[in-house]
Amino acid sequence: MEAISDIGGGISARKVDDKTMILFFGPQHPSSGHMRIILKLDGDVIIESDPDIGYVHRTMEKLSETKEWIKNSVLFERLAILDAGNVTQAYIIALEKLLGIEPPERALYLRTILSEINRISSHLYGMGIFAIMLGSSTGYMWFFGDREIMVQLAERITGSRLTHTYHIPGGVRRDVSKSFFEELEKGLNYIEKRLRHYEIMFVNNPVVRSRIENVGILSRERAIDLGVTGPNARASGIDFDVRVEEPYGAYSFVDFEVPVYKEGDALARTFQRMDEIRQSISILRQLSKSIPEGPILNEKYLKLFTPAMKEVLEKDKRIKFPAIFTSLKPPSGKAYGRVEEGRGEIFFYLESNGEPKPYRVRVVTPSFRNSILLKYLPVGYRLADLPAIYGSIDYFPPEADR
Amino acid sequence: MMAIGLLEFIKNLILWPPVFYMLIAPGLITMMILLIILIWAERKIAGRIQMRYGPLEISPKIGGAIQLLADLMRYMFQEIIIPRTVDTLPYIIAPIAGFVISMLPIAAIPISPIYFPSPMNNSIIVALALTTLPPIFGILAGWSSNNKFSLIGGARESFLVAAYELIIILSAIGAVIIYGSPDFTQAVSAQKDLWGIVLNPISAIAFYVAVLMASGRFPFEIAEAEAEIVMGAYTEYSGLMYGLSMGISYARMFVYNLIFTLLFLGGWYPFFTVPGHTFFSYVIIPATIVIVKALIVSLTMVFTRAIYARLRIDQALGGAWKFWFLFSIMGLLLGGAIVLLQGGI
Repeated sequence: MEAISDIGGGISARKVDDKTMILFFGPQHPSSGHMRIILKLDGDVIIESDPDIGYVHRTMEKLSETKEWIKNSVLFERLAILDAGNVTQAYIIALEKLLGIEPPERALYLRTILSEINRISSHLYGMGIFAIMLGSSTGYMWFFGDREIMVQLAERITGSRLTHTYHIPGGVRRDVSKSFFEELEKGLNYIEKRLRHYEIMFVNNPVVRSRIENVGILSRERAIDLGVTGPNARASGIDFDVRVEEPYGAYSFVDFEVPVYKEGDALARTFQRMDEIRQSISILRQLSKSIPEGPILNEKYLKLFTPAMKEVLEKDKRIKFPAIFTSLKPPSGKAYGRVEEGRGEIFFYLESNGEPKPYRVRVVTPSFRNSILLKYLPVGYRLADLPAIYGSIDYFPPEADR
Repeated sequence: MMAIGLLEFIKNLILWPPVFYMLIAPGLITMMILLIILIWAERKIAGRIQMRYGPLEISPKIGGAIQLLADLMRYMFQEIIIPRTVDTLPYIIAPIAGFVISMLPIAAIPISPIYFPSPMNNSIIVALALTTLPPIFGILAGWSSNNKFSLIGGARESFLVAAYELIIILSAIGAVIIYGSPDFTQAVSAQKDLWGIVLNPISAIAFYVAVLMASGRFPFEIAEAEAEIVMGAYTEYSGLMYGLSMGISYARMFVYNLIFTLLFLGGWYPFFTVPGHTFFSYVIIPATIVIVKALIVSLTMVFTRAIYARLRIDQALGGAWKFWFLFSIMGLLLGGAIVLLQGGI
């Protein structure tokens, strides 16, 4: 910005640079999402990009201090409803640490199955948005259409398509039937087949490829400096995944690779997500083979069940909450939960002072950490590259704004 | 007696070539029907590829074919909002004039060997000259809208115009020199045995790609790129004005494809007559052949939406100047070589 100069009469003015144009990209824009990017353009080239986030801030952290511990899981899954299982899991992991309770093994497996199903559907969602930002309507429809398979599988486990509220302290809310694993296998086979179609029609389509190759390059050093997380970091050569660094759920029982690309451009980020879907398919297959029989809720809570509740659990394989759940009082203390969500690491910090409501909840979401990329990545590229970069980092404003 | 005279007068008026061409075929009425077919087919084909139905609800029995009519009706009853900050006169004129002028080249495009509006010895040149006019109104719309997205859209349009017009004209010349006449009827009759696309495939391909660019079809849907600049030059339009601005690119595409059909696809050949029915033989049959050919070419063009994404402006311009321009010059040279081989000039 130029210096403010006095033009006489006590009026000061800023000299207007007539070579550049300020463009407000959003919030009323077909591809901006719930946010605004203030761009400074020199001709067609972006010389400054200033993401202005916070349009869908819902005061979640403060709001959670007014609700009971168990009700907050319903609140927090609204952070990213397309990836609700993973978000809730991070909160419940932290809450379990406070309560000092461990879920049984079958519950861990079920949680991880839901996590991976959510991851696939989250990646498909992100790539669908990416496709329509590049103008590929076929990619958009395919990704969203096939995501439906994953959403329905999640519905089979949890009973709801998006906001599952599946995780509860000490276990999960529902058990699955044997036939579910057959359907899961069918769905995975379908997605595996479709991944090849996506490569032909979308990623390796000459037009799409020319749009995303060498666009929005994020170097490894830059990614570390900016604190980028998730697939975006892994596409820049950073081998970091919470599932490996600090295993939770059933990840320590399965064998999987973390795909890492070193190019760091939009194409590498797309390939990274496709490879993650492949890994998720492999993880889901391993889990569905080795899932143990057993209870889905910790013994300590099962003891509190009335005969009627036990009957529902036997018959419908679902849990009716004991009364104590509404007034859980974790002992005073602090705990955190980390989960690798579809977009990166989500972090919950909980503080309890022994009350039925949290004293403090802090959420760090992957989209919030990746939002800084919108300031640094588009600079030097063309205006038409902005949707390509925005789509490739899979940024989800409601999750970032909390 | 009076009534018969009046009927005769109306009949003669309608069949008077200038009126018939502009109003009935291939003008306004045919164009509207073709727009309905084209846009419906575009959405249906894309829907089939994209695992969905496409338009359906309006008329389930015929696959939602009259969806566009419903859309147009909605546009008609929608309020036309004119923002306070626009330059009103050019803002209103731009889409209307753009749509009308995009159909103007029809006045110089014959769809029959003996029945045409204006006998011209250089109708190809006139038609091509008239096709270059509508983008000016797109740029005007972008400028008068007083919106940065419109401005960028108009600027993109002007860059593209400079790139594709030359390719179109060069590849048309590549065909014209083979036929030895800048007259459509003679150009078509020269293709009686062998179509232009066989004689000069290079020019035909360059022309086809340049038309894709001119009519904003994928992958060159750059001036209206929704994800980047909302709706390009037409961002501030609503209601019927928006509907008109949407129609401009389709109308242009169809007019270009009429020219493409006459220059490269043999026009009204295979030409045949039905003895005793002069009007039927010399108007209806050739017109149907030309329009169906142009429609098929247009269908292949709208089909690209289902395959490609959108190119960046620098990629499109680079491709146009560095490759397609040279390619169309090669077509010109090929045309010259064919003329020399035939022992012409």
